[in-house]
Amino acid sequence: MTLPRWPIVGRRPELEVFERALGSGERAGLVIYGRAGVGKTRLADECADQAAASGHPTQRVAGSRTTALLPLGAVAALLPEGLGGLGPDGQVNAVALFEQTRQALRERHRGRPLVTVADDVALLDAASLALLGYLAAQQAIFLIATVRTGEPVPDLLTDLWRDGRLERVDLHDLSRAHVDTLLHLALGGPIEAGAGREFWEASRGNPLYLHELTLGALDSGALVERSGVWHLEDFLPATSRLLDLVEQRIGGLSAEARSVVELLALCQPVDLGYLETAAPAGVLESLERAGLVTIAVAEGQVRLAHPMHARVVRAAMPRLRARALLLAQAERLEAAGSVPGPAELQIAVWRLDAGGEPDPAVLVRGAHLARYAHDFRMVRRLMEAVPGEELDAVGALLLGEALYELGVFDASERVLARGQELPSSEHIALLLAVTRAKNALWGLCQPDKALAINAAARAAVTSAPLAEELVADEASVLTFSGQPDRALAVLGRSTGSDQRARAVRAIAGAVALASAGRTAEALALARAGHADHVALGDEPGIAHPAMHVVNQVFALTEAGRLAEAEQVARAGAEIVASQRVPIAQIWFAINLGRVTILQGRVATARRFYAEAAGLAQSSRFAGSRRVALSGLALAHAMLGEPDAAAQALAERAGVPPFGFLGPEQRLADAWAASAARRPAEAAEAFRAAAAEAAATGHRVTESWLLHDLMRTSGEDAAARLQELADACDSQLVSARARHAAADRARDGAALTGAADDLESLGAMLLAAEAAGGAAGAFGRAGDRRAATAALRRSTALAAACEGANTPGLLHLATVNAAAADPLSGREREVVLLAATGMASKDIAERLYLSVRTVNNHLQHAYAKLGVTSRAGLTQALGSTL
Amino acid sequence: MTPEQITLVQSSFERLGPDLPALTAAFYQEVFRRDPALRPLFPSDMAELRVKFAQKLTEIVRSMPQLAELLTHTRALGARHVGYGVRAADYQTIGDALIAALAAVLGERFDAQTREAWVLAYNIVAETMLEGAAAARPIGS
Repeated sequence: MTLPRWPIVGRRPELEVFERALGSGERAGLVIYGRAGVGKTRLADECADQAAASGHPTQRVAGSRTTALLPLGAVAALLPEGLGGLGPDGQVNAVALFEQTRQALRERHRGRPLVTVADDVALLDAASLALLGYLAAQQAIFLIATVRTGEPVPDLLTDLWRDGRLERVDLHDLSRAHVDTLLHLALGGPIEAGAGREFWEASRGNPLYLHELTLGALDSGALVERSGVWHLEDFLPATSRLLDLVEQRIGGLSAEARSVVELLALCQPVDLGYLETAAPAGVLESLERAGLVTIAVAEGQVRLAHPMHARVVRAAMPRLRARALLLAQAERLEAAGSVPGPAELQIAVWRLDAGGEPDPAVLVRGAHLARYAHDFRMVRRLMEAVPGEELDAVGALLLGEALYELGVFDASERVLARGQELPSSEHIALLLAVTRAKNALWGLCQPDKALAINAAARAAVTSAPLAEELVADEASVLTFSGQPDRALAVLGRSTGSDQRARAVRAIAGAVALASAGRTAEALALARAGHADHVALGDEPGIAHPAMHVVNQVFALTEAGRLAEAEQVARAGAEIVASQRVPIAQIWFAINLGRVTILQGRVATARRFYAEAAGLAQSSRFAGSRRVALSGLALAHAMLGEPDAAAQALAERAGVPPFGFLGPEQRLADAWAASAARRPAEAAEAFRAAAAEAAATGHRVTESWLLHDLMRTSGEDAAARLQELADACDSQLVSARARHAAADRARDGAALTGAADDLESLGAMLLAAEAAGGAAGAFGRAGDRRAATAALRRSTALAAACEGANTPGLLHLATVNAAAADPLSGREREVVLLAATGMASKDIAERLYLSVRTVNNHLQHAYAKLGVTSRAGLTQALGSTL
Repeated sequence: MTPEQITLVQSSFERLGPDLPALTAAFYQEVFRRDPALRPLFPSDMAELRVKFAQKLTEIVRSMPQLAELLTHTRALGARHVGYGVRAADYQTIGDALIAALAAVLGERFDAQTREAWVLAYNIVAETMLEGAAAARPIGS
């Protein structure tokens, strides 16, 4: 695709300088100084465009290496009749020619100065410069000249400058905020955090680099838009124009200086000590003076000043040259020998970059190091370079895990299955089994296959700690396929004596415990698991340590500690976004969606779920995507957007079923039916999902479902909600039970108490609905003052809910709509039920009235609300929410 | 901006709720404190302007997720401000004043992330208003 336009950002003060200079009628021109790529030409053209838009005549002249050879070649467009005739002495009479030109321009433009852009003025020939100087001094033209920092400034400009006839602006690279704005305007929408950072780090605010990087990334398909957000799915490519630009910058370097730049481009940072001996004296200093390298004396390291230079020099370097440099560096480090760890990865990468065939043992060691850094792209690259027949069980494990992390699930299954057939230690066999099971569950969405892989491994294992880990792993598969009770039963069989097994156990156990309503234990386990995992160091075959933090968020949410959950999730999301750990990014976003929807911040929740769905799609985690799309549909439905909810559900239908958070996923179906005014279907969906939650041990989710059943249909579930509250240590589950009991009793004071509880948890939407219920109860009891106060409170709480449109908030609409002629208590009751789509017969049954009485109440309410039908009623109420 | 930053701007704005008039008052105070020379550009009775400002700010914040919709607001608004003699340098002052006013009214809720999100949002608004202003202002006589 191409960009609609490349906007100009951060240059308005400079454009105003131009406007004032041209408008004053006294200035001869404007000079724009700045480094290559800073946007001098773009600014000069924008000046000319603005002048043209105001009716000024404009002209563009540009110097080049060719026109510089020909006198007046660059400014031929200004001359009235080419170069003019020869004078009587057989020479061109310059003075006459200049004056002729001036007069011709005056005539042609009726005395208005011709706004003339002279790009790269230092490249113009002397005669052209003299003509421009003459015309500008005579105000036949208004000159806009660009001069590259470091280039000699032509005499013409210094003369005009000395006379105070020129304005000058100095352009600098854009700030981070301006880069952000430029991308937002150019792409037409928001960009994912990691991608924005990558553009900034590659361009460092150089507008030309940014432009080329953006175009290149769009062309190569690395930069793609999904659901209105731009994502970067691959490395930023170097375009041929970028190669040219950087070549211009470093083209004039001596051979010695160029070698240093090339070495840095391949291997930076490089030790200062080494470069000082390797490069001739003075070379480093001159590169630093030219702003091409930065020397961190304290760290003793040298790097190229601009990351783009490294990128481009690497891309443009002949293979053989790069190969020689890389091999020399690899040998140097190997000879030094004493440098452990990352140096080995460096050596392997340099050998690969050199197109050589590194020792497979070095590749595997390098892959281990990359794995510790969670750089799975690098692991894949190194391991795929190992010849197939040399790939052993350890190599298969590394490659299989990397393929899983990168979302290439089928290939991961193949590599890991093959790895299991190769000879290996029992420990490696275990890692192959758990990784393959994980891939089967999360990647292929086949929990039964995962359990079968686990069972086969358990049958073969002999060592006790490994057996323990396999038990923990079985529990993990059960938890994440939606069976917390079974998972907890399995975990009861393991003792937790081995540290690694404890970390795996914590991942499965924390989620299962939290779902079962044992939130304090869950939180403690997630914290301990994180500590165990961190102390363990970083091992293959086990989830990213950040998943323990995700589990803390989940446990805090189930406990009703919403503000803490949000805080931990935001901090965690920030960290994993910068490290690019997709699975953790997705789950932080889903958990932020859960927290915010429980807080009643429904539009925020919609955005988090949409983000999670986008990330899950690009990482190809179908199960996570299914959960995220369920959340998205739920948020749409609660915002009163039934069509968008239906669309999200339709998208979800194309994703394979996934058991994790299964009953919670069904909230979406129920709420979508409710939003589409199909109350019977909604109630049935809530009941069925609650039954599934009860059967599998999702106690907190069961309370969510039953409470929502009450909120949308008025159906009484207080008794079961109280049982759940007694079985769970969750303030949220307790507050729901209290709300349900108060609602059943229609007790205004108790409903006010429930609203207090819910508000203190930060569950604003639920609090608003409870306060609304209190207003109704007080009204029926004849306590108008208390009713008004509760209503006011409900309105204030609803204001924090970002446009939520739930049946429980409808009372606010009836109050607003009927402010002039208030509905009676009965009328309001009938209207609220009718607005949910309930038939008169059902309303009559619910309120112990006759159908005729219900219809009478409805007719009176229609009259007061100024509507004539049930459809008009829902519309009138909907629009006032 | 990232989608999360847009959400952060919207949610922090929505949380203002009844404090919106306080924000508006703090904003103009900050503007005039930072640059008293701007005072004459405004009417002596600010009541009506404050209400208009609050309305416009609400519209702009609501339209943040849809760039095309945002641009219809900001370009027209920028064009309207040409007549008041507002310049690029003033946008910096006004942006600083808005951030300071938000910090004062939101208190602890205005954390570093929220601030960064607002700075970026304002930058988009200011740049596109200036674009609208430039298009509406003829150069020279």
